[in-house]
Amino acid sequence: MRITRRLFLQTTAAATAAGLARPAFARTAADRAVEEAKKYAGSTINIVWEAGLQALDPLNFSGPKWTELTGIEVRVVEVQTAEMFTKIMQEFRAGTGAYDSLNVIPAWMPDLANAGALEPLDALVEKYGYRDELQAIAPTYRDNQMMVDGKIYAFPDDGDVFILYYRKDVFEDPANQAAFKDAHGYDLAPPKTWAQFAEIGRFLTDKYAPQMYGAAFFRQPPYTMYMFQERFRNEGGRFFDADSMRATINSDVGVRVFDEMRAENAFMPPGVEQWGFVENLAAFLSGQTAMTISWPPYGRWAAGYGTDESALSWVPKSTVAGKVGYALPPGGHPQLAAGFCLAVASTSRQKEAAYLFNQWLNSEDISMQRVQLPYALRDPFRTSHFDDPVYKSRWPEAPEYLATLEAGSETGLLDLSLLQTDRYEEVLRQSISRLWAGEDPKAILDDAAAQWDQTTDRIGADKQGAVYRAWAAKSGAYPART
Amino acid sequence: MTEAGVHARTGTEAAAVPSPAAAGIERPARRLRPRRRTVVLALRLLAAILVTVVFLFPIYWLAIMAFKTADEIFAYPPVWWPGSLNLSNFAVLFRDGDWETVRNSLVLATSSTAIAMVLGTFAAYALERFRIGGENLAVWIISQRMLPPVVIVFPIFLLYVALGWVDTFHGMIVLYVAFSLPYVIWMMRGYIHDIPIELEESAELDGCSRWQILWRVVFPMARTGLFATAVFTFVFVWNDFVFALVLTRTEVVTYTVQVTHYFGGQSNFWAKIAAMSMLGTLPVFFAVATLQRYFVRGLSMGAVKG
Amino acid sequence: MRPAALDAPRIRASDRRFGLLLLAPSVLLLLLVGLFPLVYTLVVSFQQITLFEVDTSFAGLANYRMLLSDERLWESLLHTAILFSIALPLELALGLAMAQLFLERLPGRQIFIALLVLPTVIAPLVAGAVWRLLLDHRYGPVNQIVGWLWGEEAVLLWTVNPLLVYPAILMAEVWQWTPFMFLILLAALTNVDRSLTEAAEIDGAGFWLTFRKVVLPAIWPVMAVALLIRGLDLARIFDVVYALTGGGPGTMTETISIYTYVLGFRQFETSYTGAIAFLVIAILTVLVVGAVKRMGLAR
Repeated sequence: MRITRRLFLQTTAAATAAGLARPAFARTAADRAVEEAKKYAGSTINIVWEAGLQALDPLNFSGPKWTELTGIEVRVVEVQTAEMFTKIMQEFRAGTGAYDSLNVIPAWMPDLANAGALEPLDALVEKYGYRDELQAIAPTYRDNQMMVDGKIYAFPDDGDVFILYYRKDVFEDPANQAAFKDAHGYDLAPPKTWAQFAEIGRFLTDKYAPQMYGAAFFRQPPYTMYMFQERFRNEGGRFFDADSMRATINSDVGVRVFDEMRAENAFMPPGVEQWGFVENLAAFLSGQTAMTISWPPYGRWAAGYGTDESALSWVPKSTVAGKVGYALPPGGHPQLAAGFCLAVASTSRQKEAAYLFNQWLNSEDISMQRVQLPYALRDPFRTSHFDDPVYKSRWPEAPEYLATLEAGSETGLLDLSLLQTDRYEEVLRQSISRLWAGEDPKAILDDAAAQWDQTTDRIGADKQGAVYRAWAAKSGAYPART
Repeated sequence: MTEAGVHARTGTEAAAVPSPAAAGIERPARRLRPRRRTVVLALRLLAAILVTVVFLFPIYWLAIMAFKTADEIFAYPPVWWPGSLNLSNFAVLFRDGDWETVRNSLVLATSSTAIAMVLGTFAAYALERFRIGGENLAVWIISQRMLPPVVIVFPIFLLYVALGWVDTFHGMIVLYVAFSLPYVIWMMRGYIHDIPIELEESAELDGCSRWQILWRVVFPMARTGLFATAVFTFVFVWNDFVFALVLTRTEVVTYTVQVTHYFGGQSNFWAKIAAMSMLGTLPVFFAVATLQRYFVRGLSMGAVKG
Repeated sequence: MRPAALDAPRIRASDRRFGLLLLAPSVLLLLLVGLFPLVYTLVVSFQQITLFEVDTSFAGLANYRMLLSDERLWESLLHTAILFSIALPLELALGLAMAQLFLERLPGRQIFIALLVLPTVIAPLVAGAVWRLLLDHRYGPVNQIVGWLWGEEAVLLWTVNPLLVYPAILMAEVWQWTPFMFLILLAALTNVDRSLTEAAEIDGAGFWLTFRKVVLPAIWPVMAVALLIRGLDLARIFDVVYALTGGGPGTMTETISIYTYVLGFRQFETSYTGAIAFLVIAILTVLVVGAVKRMGLAR
């Protein structure tokens, strides 16, 4: 059925190109959304957005623009990340209709969909002719972050992926090259393994500290939780034994990753354990660190892209523009960490208006503008974004940047997604804060595994096992065996 | 908690048991020489200044954060004195409508205080003058204050879901009124106790109805108590976080909940945290400045009579 | 209702009716918001309601049995007890010392006192946020001050290091509530009959002896109430911890209120939360009744 429809649309598109235009389909998904939404002019939709940077897009750009086009007011409800799942579930239980459009992290989708908090969107996608443009979302995101049990619940809207940023000038400095090769026997280049990362980081810290450190990360638990998931799987770790559903994060691999993560802090700036997104960003932009791994916006701001905007006044001025190289993190399979999808709350009283807003935001035309907003945190997620000539001309290294993002999206790893994912993630976040607090890695991970097992048993090992096995069968769940 | 404890008067009763040697000796002059007295006073003054600086420093820091520019906030080492009086952090709150959460707090605190004062004073009057329910009822009422908000908010949430009261002004007001009532009743009982009953009796002889006595005698006579208790109730509601965190969504979000929205996933928006905290704190400072005289009695739930 | 009129025969039947009328709205509201939740929680705690399952069949004591094996629960009670047993004496001692300092004539005394009130009226959540600003290892002034005293740059991670995280919470807590103790104790001390203390001094009793034998008995009733109010608040501590550490690192500073919130609203363990709620209420009741008796507040 879907395929027939797609074929039909493709045929129609071809026909349009051939000049046998049918007006209804000649318009874009964005135009259609605006056209259809005009009948809701005068109403207000509440959209739930992650508090802070993410919300700048609807506050400054897409919200006002939508209001101008359709007459629908947009109210942005900013919720801090840690409370987002809670608030959405609470609201679903309460059913006040306070939320219309929702930002959800893909890992939560099974929970929210199973509970009934999200509106299934297939019918609306058909009704408003969005199937084609939806299919043009980059494959990883489209295939993994859109559906639960075969039904569409959300539109992938943020191509989150971890990228390694490094200082080309430092890495290409002949003196550094020679000294490093002498010491370690291989060329100084972006690290391919975590062992190399540690050697390069230590080497650079020894040479430059305290003016510059070899590397730093955003070490607060929410970020490091994703980093652990990535490293653990790149090193061959598995979250569960698929048959017994016993947690296996306390395996040797897990303990080694924990050990290494903590050992790395030694060549990072003092206090790195407490660093958040902004501290780490500030350090990298002001040239105090030679490597870091983070989400895509770092790359744009490091290049000085748009940082003179007033909305970005809090971002320190980049002193490293033109000196930043991009690479996949060690191991080559970056975490597609978090990412946001656009969903419609099942308790909304304005589902159609909310849906149309989401379609418009997510469409080729509008998303192309949104991912290029200098202050936004939405990252390229459509094939067209990666190929866009305008985007590629935004700064000299932009083509390289986009190519790295696209490569990352192709080899990237999905966040663990089960029933009650938040509980499993919470255990990991707590484990990481215990790691920084100095406890024994093995003991921490044994505790974590025990807590995971307890949660699994509470949900039902059979039930969770089926969900896990379906997740693990996805291409991005674990690195392809070589 | 019992009435006896909270209504215990300071000093006189307990100190009425004198130490044997103390009785009958006249209060002597301080034997310190003038010079030494000056030194002691200077030292005490110094200590007082030091203590005050230490306790006010966090508030000072909050205030200057609110006026700092982004560069100053992320300066290392920290800037102790902002270069200019930068109002843009506040401007952003007004531009994006975040200030409405302060207005919500104001609406909730004002209306719940007004309602709680009226209902609570009625109840206190009934308890004090007509002895309804005896001490048991009074103790049950005050024991309601003992329940941890986190514990009761959970069933309240489920109740409000059933009633459709989540994220509504009336829902929040009902909750705040109910939560303030024990305090209001407790305090007003003490104040009404202090009103000479003869006044009411003579009003009755003059032909006043019960309602008239209440409005024309009791309320005016208890007005300082009403005022002091009202300010405290206002501050309790104003400062609430747990109830608002769980029971509000968009329409009645209060400023305390709004502050937590700036603890972002990527960064903490220090400028907004500080500016919003200042907006939310100034009204309370203002309220408290007006009731210095009654502060201690209100704070100690009547244990100290001012 | 018990015939209250027997206690006070002077009260007329019409007065009683009027009194009931005055009392009714308050009692109804308190029943709705005070009693209903308790009953509902009790019912739910014998069922099996979770995020996905709304199983309202009778589950017996299953949830209560879970309490026993829930280490995180007992740890959270321990954390609450730690905060309680350090903060309360500290606030009392500091408050008393400050009250002594301001007891006698001092230039600008009223202004000092008016300023010292301020921390106490700030929302506890905001107090937590303020201390997060102050304790930021890089952009906060506390580490800078420590650095000056220490002589070299201090990198103290207040919310990461397990040795520092309790001091961090305690600083915020003690900062906010010492003035509360101070104000109440100052009022109590002011009311102590001066002739008694001076007589004792003349009699040769030193400061401590005078304080113990004369002052303390005089201020005890007020002090006990202040301790009770603060003690109850400390037993329920939520806002400051939520804003400052969120219960971390790990669950090292998770108090019973934070844990209840996490269970009820992050994990949606409705029934089990009900059982915990009852445990908490039971503990508090025992503590308060015990405290009231021991402190001699009950007559």
